[in-house]
This record gives sequence, structure tokens and C-alpha cells, in this order.
Amino acid sequence: MAKLSLMFENNVVKEVPIGNRPVSIGRSPDNDIPIDNLAVSTYHARVYYEGNRLVVEDLDSLNGTFVNDLRVERAMLHDGDSIWIGKHSIKVDATADTAIPWDTGRKAAAPKINETMVLDTKARRDMLQQAAAMGERSQFSPGRMKMPTLVVLNGRVDQKEYVLTNKLTVIGKSPMATVRLRGWFKPQVAAQINQRDDGYYLGTGSKIPTVNGAPIQGAVRLNDGDLIEVCGIRMNFIVRE
Amino acid sequence: MQIVSGGVSDVGRVRTNNEDSFRVLEALNLFILSDGMGGEAHGEVASAMAVETVEKFCSNPDASKEDSGVTLHGAASDNWSPQTKILQNAVFQANFSIYQSAQKHPEQRGMGATLTTGWLNESKLSIAHVGDSRAYLLRTGALQQLTNDHSLVAEQVRRGILTPQQAEESEMQSVLLRALGANPEVDVEVDEVDLMPRDVLLFCSDGLTRMVSEPEIAGKLQAETDPGTAAQKLVDLANERGGLDNVTVIVVRVQDDSKGWFSWLRRDSGKKD
Repeated sequence: MAKLSLMFENNVVKEVPIGNRPVSIGRSPDNDIPIDNLAVSTYHARVYYEGNRLVVEDLDSLNGTFVNDLRVERAMLHDGDSIWIGKHSIKVDATADTAIPWDTGRKAAAPKINETMVLDTKARRDMLQQAAAMGERSQFSPGRMKMPTLVVLNGRVDQKEYVLTNKLTVIGKSPMATVRLRGWFKPQVAAQINQRDDGYYLGTGSKIPTVNGAPIQGAVRLNDGDLIEVCGIRMNFIVRE
Repeated sequence: MQIVSGGVSDVGRVRTNNEDSFRVLEALNLFILSDGMGGEAHGEVASAMAVETVEKFCSNPDASKEDSGVTLHGAASDNWSPQTKILQNAVFQANFSIYQSAQKHPEQRGMGATLTTGWLNESKLSIAHVGDSRAYLLRTGALQQLTNDHSLVAEQVRRGILTPQQAEESEMQSVLLRALGANPEVDVEVDEVDLMPRDVLLFCSDGLTRMVSEPEIAGKLQAETDPGTAAQKLVDLANERGGLDNVTVIVVRVQDDSKGWFSWLRRDSGKKD
């Protein structure tokens, strides 16, 4: 039979077995587990069996009922769980029950090609580590790329250097542009530099920029040291350490 | 900033039910798309829950904050606008709702969803997403993906382990590193983009991008100016190609703000250079 243990600083203050009747928890002394504390509502929560599942239910309490740091309205309990009410914890001892792990069979099957599968944290780390070990030397630090800089060699713009911090960089006269062109007849969007998974790509706008002297056809990936020219502006694309 | 928008969702040619859900809420400038997963039609439950939670949360953020009761583990940067933070919180809450539902209903265990949202405030677009449903921006003919796919293969590309080409051919394309419903908390990725007149936004589930290439998508978006029609044409194209998965497309066009003769002067200026 399962039982609930009201804890105070690692000591068991009160133990209550859970039978056919729900176990009530709250500030009022007529609860099965009374907790005399202002943070606890008069009738705060209750624990009971639903079939052979053990359930905790919050009774619309003011400060909420938590199971292992997670606020719940109604949740299944497993052996070893802690119910937190105010500053008090109630340990769940359900060793006598058959445990029902909630991810039974979910990740056991081999991944089917057409189905979407979600990896949990450990599986994700393992898989990435395996892939990294198999693959080539990793160019980028996990999850973050170095931020490149555009160094202006000549032309009328508002800054000498631009660090590309955003996914989208507009070169043009628009107020939204990062590299703001000066001059009456410059286009709103002359060209754009956009970040993708594998690097930064230069794309056309109203104009066709050149990279190292050659006009681009569609978006091209930029490499450290490339010379970009558009609307009379010449810039170097630099990836600094 | 004036916008027009439209959205279409289709079961595709192979699947028996549509587990995608979406909302185009023009009054709020809020766009929501979710691709559900899980056996026995529970994917539908998950994706519907995802979009409904976001819609409800963003329509009434103050009330929703009371209910949520979960601490937000948000982006490290506190420089995001209040709207971006609300949107992130909404997606976070959607995850918790799905997770909680699966806790209460064991038959729903294993159900999950992607979620991609966009919320426009003046010219600033807030984006919050989990998973591999995408947001794209079409600007002066160039189509740029705005969201990072939370898939294994995309992460391998980011780490230099795979090339984009290899990723596209990989058998493990549909393996996700992040999705709603798997854990009580999830890392919601956010971003902000300043939109310009004539920009076109696209939100889509992978049912589109698996069947139609990006240049073709860009072509259709440029050719068809009515967003609803553009969305339908993209769905039709995905189905023509086999329609292997549910496909959902939302198109948002930012109107040109030009007025009269002055706009003529500005547009013509491109040719003079």
C-alpha cells in the first residue's frame, strides 16, 4: 500500500497510508495531512487512487500544488515523487504499486523513416557526439557561429565597419538597412547578406553585387577575405577569431 | 504597416488525416502553425492544442500569465521586445499544456508537435518556434529562411558535420531535437526581424519544403500577389509532387507604402545608378 510522508527538513513528520478514501491536505485541522502555514489553503490538495494509478489533485489552491518543481492541477504520482505545497514537501512512497513509466515503448522502436521522432537530451547528446566523431573536423562551435565583420574600403556609408549580428543584413538606403547607403538615388535594398546553417550568403537586392570581381548568380556563400562590391561601395567580409 | 494574408492546410496525397493546425489572425497580426506527431490521430490533438494555446495567450497575455504558473526559461537576452517575450511565453505554455495532457491521458503519450509563430507589431516581427516548421522571408527576390530547424540534420550542418546537400538527402531528416510535448519545459527559440514594404512572409510545415524547392517557392510567391491564392498554389504544387505529408502554408504580404509621384521617383532611382 502506498503512503505519503510529510517532511520537515529531511525528517518525517507525519505518515499517512493511502487507502480507498482520498487523502486530503490543507491548513484546516480536519485534513488527513494538516499543514499549519499561511501559504497553504484550507483545503489545498488531495491524493487518491484512480484505478491502480495514484493521482494528486490541486483543489483550486491559491499558491498551487507542485510535483517535483512542476505546478500541476492533476497529475499521476510515482514512487519517489515529492509533492510541494507551500514550503512543505510530501514524499510519495509507492513501492508496493506497479510502476508505470510514462515513456514505455516510445523510444524503444528503431526510427522509422517517415515518422518524426523526438530525441531526449541524453540520446540527443549521444547521437551528436557519434556524428561528430564520424564526421569531419567541426568548423563551428556548437550552436553558435563566429560573427563576421564587413570592413568598408571605400564608399559613402554610415560606418567603417559592421559586425553582422543578425540573421538578415540589408545593404541599402532603407532605414532598416544595417549598411546604410548615402546618396539620393541609392535603392532601398541594394543587396543582402543572410545567415544560414552553414555560413553567410550574399544575395541580390535591386542590384547585383560582385564577389572578388565576379557578379553573383543567386546567393553565394561568403568566405573569409572575400571582396564585395555594390553601388560603388567596396567591403571585405572578414571572419575574426 | 499594412498587410494581407492567407493560409491553406491540406492532408496531402498519402496520409489519411491532417495533423497540421494553423491560425491566421489578421486582427492581431498573429500567425501560428503547428505540425503534430503521435500515433492514432493524437498528432491532431497536439497541434490543435498548440495553436489554441498561443491564440488564447496572445489575445489576453495578462490573464494567461496567472494561469500558466510555470517559470519561463527564456532566451538569455533581455533585449527582446515585450511582444517577443509574450510570444515566447505562449509557446512555452503550449508545450506545457501538451505535456500535461499526455500526463493525464496515457493514451496520448508520445504525442508532440512543432510550433512556429510570428507576431507583427508595426514593422517588427517577433518569431518564436520549436521544431522544424519554418518561417521564410522573401525580399527583393531572395528567399531566406528565418527559423533554425531543430532537427538532427540541421544541427549537424551547423556543426560542419554535414553539408546542406547531405542533410537534404539524409534518411534521418525527420528526427527532431526539440518538439512540444516531450518534456514539461522546452527551449523556445526567438528572433526579431524588421520588415520592409513589399516583403513576403511564408510559414510552412515540412510537407511543403520536402516536395517543393526553395527557388520554386520564391517563384510562386513572386508570381501570385494574392496571399490566399499563393498559399493554395504552393499546396497544389506539393501535392502534384507526391504530397507525402500534410502540408500547411501561410503567406503574408507587406504592402508597398509608396504614394503617388514620389514613389515613381524612388523606384526609378534604381535604374540611374
